[in-house]
Amino acid sequence: MATLLDNPAVDAAAVEAIVEAYAEPAWLADERRAALRSYAAAPFPTEKTEEWRYTQLKRFRLDGLALAKAPKDESVPERIRMRIADSDAEGVMVHKGNRVVLRQANIKEAGVVFTDLRTAVREHEELLRRHLYSVVNATQTKYTALNSALWENGTFVYVPKDVEVELPLGAFTTADAGGIGLGRTLIVLDVNSRLTFIDEYTSEPFEERLFFDAATEIVLQEGAKLRYVSLQNWSRNVAHMNKLRAHLGKDARLESVTVSLGADAARAEVESRLEGPGSESEMLGLYFADEGQHFNQFTLQHHATERGFSDVLFKGAVRDASQAVYSGLIVVDPHAQKTDAYQTNRNLLLDEEAEVVSIPQLEIAANDVKCSHGSTTGPVPEDQRFYLMSRGLRPEVAEHVLVTGFLYEVMSRVTLPKVAEYVERVVQAKLGVPGVKEKL
Amino acid sequence: MQHTKQYEFKLEENYFFKSDRGLTKRVVEQISYFKGEPEWMLKFRLKALEIAEKKGRPKWGPDLSGLNFDDIFFYVRPNEKQGTAGSWDDIPEDVRKTYQRLGVPEAEQRALAGVGAQYESEMVYHKLKAEWEKLGVLFLDTDTGLKEHPEIFKEYFASVIPPEDNYFAAVNSAVWSGGSFVYVPEGVHVEVPLQAYFLLNAENVGQFERTLIIGAPGSKFHYIEGCTAPAYTSNSFHSGVIEIVCQENSHVRYSTIQNWSHNVYNLVTQRAMVHAGASMGWLDGNLGSKTTMKYPSTYLVGEGAHGEILSIAFATDGQHQDAGAKVIHVAPNTTSSVVSKSISKGTGRSSYRGLVQIHEGATNARSNVECDALLLDENARTDTFPYIEISEKTAHVGHEATVSKLDDEQIFYLMTRGLKEDEAMALIVRGFLDPVAKELPLEYAVELNRLIELEMEGSVG
Repeated sequence: MATLLDNPAVDAAAVEAIVEAYAEPAWLADERRAALRSYAAAPFPTEKTEEWRYTQLKRFRLDGLALAKAPKDESVPERIRMRIADSDAEGVMVHKGNRVVLRQANIKEAGVVFTDLRTAVREHEELLRRHLYSVVNATQTKYTALNSALWENGTFVYVPKDVEVELPLGAFTTADAGGIGLGRTLIVLDVNSRLTFIDEYTSEPFEERLFFDAATEIVLQEGAKLRYVSLQNWSRNVAHMNKLRAHLGKDARLESVTVSLGADAARAEVESRLEGPGSESEMLGLYFADEGQHFNQFTLQHHATERGFSDVLFKGAVRDASQAVYSGLIVVDPHAQKTDAYQTNRNLLLDEEAEVVSIPQLEIAANDVKCSHGSTTGPVPEDQRFYLMSRGLRPEVAEHVLVTGFLYEVMSRVTLPKVAEYVERVVQAKLGVPGVKEKL
Repeated sequence: MQHTKQYEFKLEENYFFKSDRGLTKRVVEQISYFKGEPEWMLKFRLKALEIAEKKGRPKWGPDLSGLNFDDIFFYVRPNEKQGTAGSWDDIPEDVRKTYQRLGVPEAEQRALAGVGAQYESEMVYHKLKAEWEKLGVLFLDTDTGLKEHPEIFKEYFASVIPPEDNYFAAVNSAVWSGGSFVYVPEGVHVEVPLQAYFLLNAENVGQFERTLIIGAPGSKFHYIEGCTAPAYTSNSFHSGVIEIVCQENSHVRYSTIQNWSHNVYNLVTQRAMVHAGASMGWLDGNLGSKTTMKYPSTYLVGEGAHGEILSIAFATDGQHQDAGAKVIHVAPNTTSSVVSKSISKGTGRSSYRGLVQIHEGATNARSNVECDALLLDENARTDTFPYIEISEKTAHVGHEATVSKLDDEQIFYLMTRGLKEDEAMALIVRGFLDPVAKELPLEYAVELNRLIELEMEGSVG
């Protein structure tokens, strides 16, 4: 069996080097060492492992890759400057490789912390000690173990009790060299607070291959509300693995969107654990794979308590010889009565060689619940295409309109106009709509 | 035959014979010897045994740890004389009660009690048999099929489900015994259902039946298997293989409602190969057993082929019904629909495990899957695992599933109309299963309803 994740760069020396370089406190060093042990002990996923059955594991290989080094230069790439200028985000942070190269926060609300994880370890140690690894940790997957052991920097947001952050905040993660890159976001919303946060992953193409292992931990305390966008549009030399997981307290609400557009291969695991009664989780997803891309999405709605509401809507299109995989699971624990859970996956197949796998699953152990899931896959509807053509649209234009319309159902539920516009432009460029590529 | 010389069996042909316990080469050879099979079948069995040993049990799905092969007699040769093989008193109490309460298969009761063969349905059967024979229909048990129609048999046997398919198919291939062999010739439409009551036959088919059904081009028929087939032996493992070939433009239906006693592991492989213009309908009901793994599958290999699967599962205390359906679209313009209904009660657990595959080249394939689960108790549990794999652009595939609980308001309404609570519940459950019951011939629908009543009995308080 090929040890797909085996890598000599991932060892105790690498962990100690980080601990030493940043003079980390003992608790954090211990967490990292334990995570490395979990990484070493975790079995390598194979294509027979149920959770990875449709994942093209060879695309997520780590072998031959060294840990990504510091960026070649610390300037903010032009592409990111343009994205920032055209973003809904008001406070921004730019991660380039393992360095923070820009931090610009325009936060008026008192007590809000928006900083990088390195600074947070120094200045908000108690908060970190309490929440870091509490949602995404080494015990979950081989990749989360890797991240937990070796992350160097990332984003930390804390919103105090009853505070509403009016303008969206965002982190842009980019790279200019290959290797194994690691990113981590920790968002903690205290009781009744509100925040909108955008995590964007994008880059110009560079020579080497980059494997990027991202982890996003979200803690929503009682009554907290978070809108969260994860937007992945890496250049094609990248493989992106992302675990996004939220723990929801009583009456908390999460609205997340996971967008996959770039990279050669991407796997997004989007998970909510509804721990407090009355909590609500809406998880949206959008993907468009073309030119041989492999997109793999997994969602989990875990109802651990009563009266939870959760809704998943993942829509995507596949073009050329590319693949999209969606698998999702609703778990309802025995005492999670009055659960209301929905899960929908819809796919458009635009080419002969394209492939889609869809597995919406339910595991229900409580009886007083409403749960349903659905999945459809098909081509662009002929009658709709015909209708548009009868109104004078050329066939390819009709297809663009229908595909964008299909995907826009997801983006229309995201109340961030600039994010939605950007996603639409990328989709149009992928569809070959003339004049769009230049605007990206 | 060569292999017979290896053993000095002192047993008469008609002697009551039990194999050794466990699944061994010796047992397989004994089975083949006693059946007087041709050499190729013995070779096939031994090869299958090797495959089973190599494959090992599935590592997914329900817990099978309670299944110990070393305790199992893989072959029990019944006495040739009907009636003495099992006496009414040997039948487990719960099964006997079920029989008594069902009323309908009274004949079955009597057969088990050893009263004899002169009952009404037997005569009906003989009358029908003559009618079918006139049309050239072959309807035999599989052992006889092999003896009397070796050419047809050899051509189709294991062509749909080879032993390599899965572990339990391999086990069945090694130790199979009995089952039905059906061949309906070209263009023949059989108007009344072909019905097999395994327990009615003198030939006890054992627990590893092998059913082979062939619909020649343009034929049309409905095969129904013993509506209730409670296991009355101590054997706790049933693993059938059912292979169906639907040739061009044939219409084949297969219906079964199984009600094994609650100590049986019911692990069955059933599959139809459907050729151009043909259609295949499965109706699969699972009410009994301890653990069921059963996924009727349909391979649509010819242009315009159509498949339908209706599946119901009822899991009560301690039961795990892991049922589902598989539809593989390989040819253009193929269509399929799956409707699955499950009910979980007490600590019962039901699962829907399905697969829809649209292969490259299966242009304009359409498939729709609908799963509805009903949970009657707080401790009940249901899962759905519908896999959808699509490699063809023009596919239309839909899947919908819902889980809900028994509606309190409906129960209350029925109770205000004078029904007792468990009667009200049974009525609602019957309504839930109505789309399935409608597809059954009347007497089976009646029986299904009685079974539900039995399962629902004492569900309150």
